[in-house]
Amino acid sequence: MKKHDFSLAGLILVAVLIFSLLGCAQNEQPGHRAAESENGDEQAGDSSGGGLEPITFTAYFEDPSPNWNNMQDAVGKVITEKTGVTIDAEFAVSGVDRISLIAASGNYPDLISPKGSADQLVSAGAMIDLTDLIEQHGPNLKKVYGEYLPRLRWSEEDPSIYFLPTYDGVGQTYFDAGGGFQLQHAVVQELGYPEIRTVKDFEDAIRTYMERHPTIDGQPTIGLSLLADDWRILISVTNNAFYATGAPDDGEFYIDPETFEATYHYRRPEEKEYFRWLNHMNATGLLDPESFVQKYDQYLAKIASGRVLALTDQRWQFQDGENALKAEGKYERGYGHYPVTLNEQYVRKDFQGTGFMGGWGIGITTSNPDPVRAIQFLDWLASEEGQILRRWGIEGEHYEVVDGKRVIPPQVMEEKRNNAAQFERTSGIGLYEMFSAKYGDGVLDSTGNYFTTNFPEQIVESYNEVEKEVLAHYNATTWKDLFPSEEEFPVRPWGAAWQIQMPTGSDLSVIFQRCDDIMKRRIPQAVLADPSEFDEIWDQFMAELIEAGVEQMEREYTELVRKKVAFWNET
Amino acid sequence: MAGSKTWFSRSWPDRCFDLFNFMFMIFVLVITLYPFLHVLAISLNDSTDTVRGGIHIWPRQFTLANYEVIFQYDTLLTGFRNSVLRTIVGTALGLISASMLAFTLSRRDFQARKFISVFLALTLYFSGGLIPVYMLIRDLGLMNSFWVYVFPGMVNAFFVFVIRSYIDGLPYSLQESAKLDGANDFVIYWRIIMPLSKPVLATIALFIAVGQWNAWFDTYLYNGSARHLTTLQFELMKVLESTTTSGSSQDFRGQNMTEVMARVSPESVKMAITIVVTVPILLVYPFLQRYFVKGMTLGAVKS
Repeated sequence: MKKHDFSLAGLILVAVLIFSLLGCAQNEQPGHRAAESENGDEQAGDSSGGGLEPITFTAYFEDPSPNWNNMQDAVGKVITEKTGVTIDAEFAVSGVDRISLIAASGNYPDLISPKGSADQLVSAGAMIDLTDLIEQHGPNLKKVYGEYLPRLRWSEEDPSIYFLPTYDGVGQTYFDAGGGFQLQHAVVQELGYPEIRTVKDFEDAIRTYMERHPTIDGQPTIGLSLLADDWRILISVTNNAFYATGAPDDGEFYIDPETFEATYHYRRPEEKEYFRWLNHMNATGLLDPESFVQKYDQYLAKIASGRVLALTDQRWQFQDGENALKAEGKYERGYGHYPVTLNEQYVRKDFQGTGFMGGWGIGITTSNPDPVRAIQFLDWLASEEGQILRRWGIEGEHYEVVDGKRVIPPQVMEEKRNNAAQFERTSGIGLYEMFSAKYGDGVLDSTGNYFTTNFPEQIVESYNEVEKEVLAHYNATTWKDLFPSEEEFPVRPWGAAWQIQMPTGSDLSVIFQRCDDIMKRRIPQAVLADPSEFDEIWDQFMAELIEAGVEQMEREYTELVRKKVAFWNET
Repeated sequence: MAGSKTWFSRSWPDRCFDLFNFMFMIFVLVITLYPFLHVLAISLNDSTDTVRGGIHIWPRQFTLANYEVIFQYDTLLTGFRNSVLRTIVGTALGLISASMLAFTLSRRDFQARKFISVFLALTLYFSGGLIPVYMLIRDLGLMNSFWVYVFPGMVNAFFVFVIRSYIDGLPYSLQESAKLDGANDFVIYWRIIMPLSKPVLATIALFIAVGQWNAWFDTYLYNGSARHLTTLQFELMKVLESTTTSGSSQDFRGQNMTEVMARVSPESVKMAITIVVTVPILLVYPFLQRYFVKGMTLGAVKS
């Protein structure tokens, strides 16, 4: 009996021990909190000489920000000093949808930036209409969005403004091309820089080089390699069908610029000819036979081996492979970007403008204790002063003004490059990108400097010697110079059709999925078939699409596009 | 030498069996060890070089850059402490509550036995779903507290059933004789059942511990804004995110980006993270190993 008691006591002792241990852990919480808020008060108190009451807003962002430093970074301190506002922010991890939890629970943060699930917050009634707030307290916001302000409205039925787009920069221009068709620099160098304008030129260049060099570094040379790993088939294979036949990127649809009629782009007759060319490439042995079976890592490894002469991809997708080549010093095996089309009749519209497309952004919730302060805060961030602070940092610390030009001192640049995460955490540059409206690359401020830290000179600086030499032979300074510029085309009034969301669970999205499945099966089949069978397979492909309801899908999508055009362009 | 002697003195079928057994075990060893070594090799290899493929169990261009990326975050230490704490506390409390319930359910004289079993079994098949659970946790006041790591998972139906079936397998006469000696139910539980159930308890402890160690989602959902309650896995998840998203970050286009990307890649960091999270929990196994072995001999001889 004595023994038993002892063991029971032991059990209780263990339990008590554990609980007290946890008690400690929990007790830490209030202490911590208090310390934090004291800190915050102190700071705001120090600097709010302008009569700005210190205030803390909670915020949730549906994107990760691992270097977030609770506004203890240089930029954050200035923001608090200027506005009196401290942001207690939480960030998403790994795209897990937490917005639906927030919407359902009714525990809204004061500010929220929800991405794709924004409609859940709106239908939960969580968001405040910002229209009047912008009108009364948002001169800078009005200035940045300018003529595009109506595009911020939620929908035809509910013309309130719930979110300020923060992901896209207004007036964004691109300084370089990352798409088109890619050829290794070695190929054009060897062939004396021939004009690469049509698929014929492209094909001839590949063939000639391949005949002269059947092996590279002891391994068989590969002509054109494609990637069809799941969705990547769109980037490397099928998007090129519309690019090469003179259409801009509107997702899986071609939009008629006059009538706004949507066509599932594979149904355009000219695209059939593009796929016939791919079929011909395969039949003549210029297409990598593994094109439709290789996985992404295999594709990159192949590119990194330096024996793939040509790609029809986007740089962001094959970059890792190319970087491996550069690291080895094999610059001539890197890729140039050429504006290839099916024939001379077409021009590439990679850069056709979309106008400001709005998109995801930040909004104020009904839980916010002081919406006026909140909009004033967002407005200040959108001001010239605020935007420069967010992008460039603090003058004299992160940049200097030399002869009226903002420049980043070499030692800061060094830090930024080699110690990117640490730099972001201490300086705060880059942490506030998603906090308010902003201009894109290429927009100038009142002093004639760029708002962002990206500018054309930098692009050229980033090219290696081989790239510069190749470009010089084509009388260009950037790859973009080879492409028709955005000024040659009218701005698309519908923006870009891929931005139009199909209602989930609707007929439209069901049919779309069905067509997509057919496409992913039929395209590889058509390309790999014997040329004599190509027409037959293509006809079957088209017949199957019609059976799947492609015509109904096109009609409904046309409606969506027309609605968007009307909504965006009414005044 | 002694080994070879026994080898030759054994009969043919025995030797065949040994040989087969030996090869089979080598095979199992290889397929379990290879992925681990592969991950280790990639985590120690230069990330640009990894793109070229062909890394198997040995790094080609040795680097610690992938680990440097991970360890530059000072929140990892807080995370590590909380992860260890939740693993210890969660396992201890989980084990005690699950085994107590299992013992009760194994008792034939417990009237509501059937009802509670069915009640528990239901939770194996149905759950409230994310949103209701979230709201429940909120209403229970468990948000921003350490206890949210421990309480919700303290009684896991599956674990209870596993322990119960083990207890069912113990001779009931043991309990009866203890009772005759004057032991009450708690004493029977603590002095008779628990010591005899060590093998199953070790197994369940391992399950709970691994689960606790690996968990990050609850941190994200309930304690996202309480920085002092963060866990190691949650912090590492964020590190991983940062490498994946840096590619799209506006500021690091052009040259900056190529250089950043060349140093580390999401794939390599992922591998390094895998190593960082696996090694501590691997260290737990040797301590529990002896109970598994004991379990086997315990079941071998039975009256």
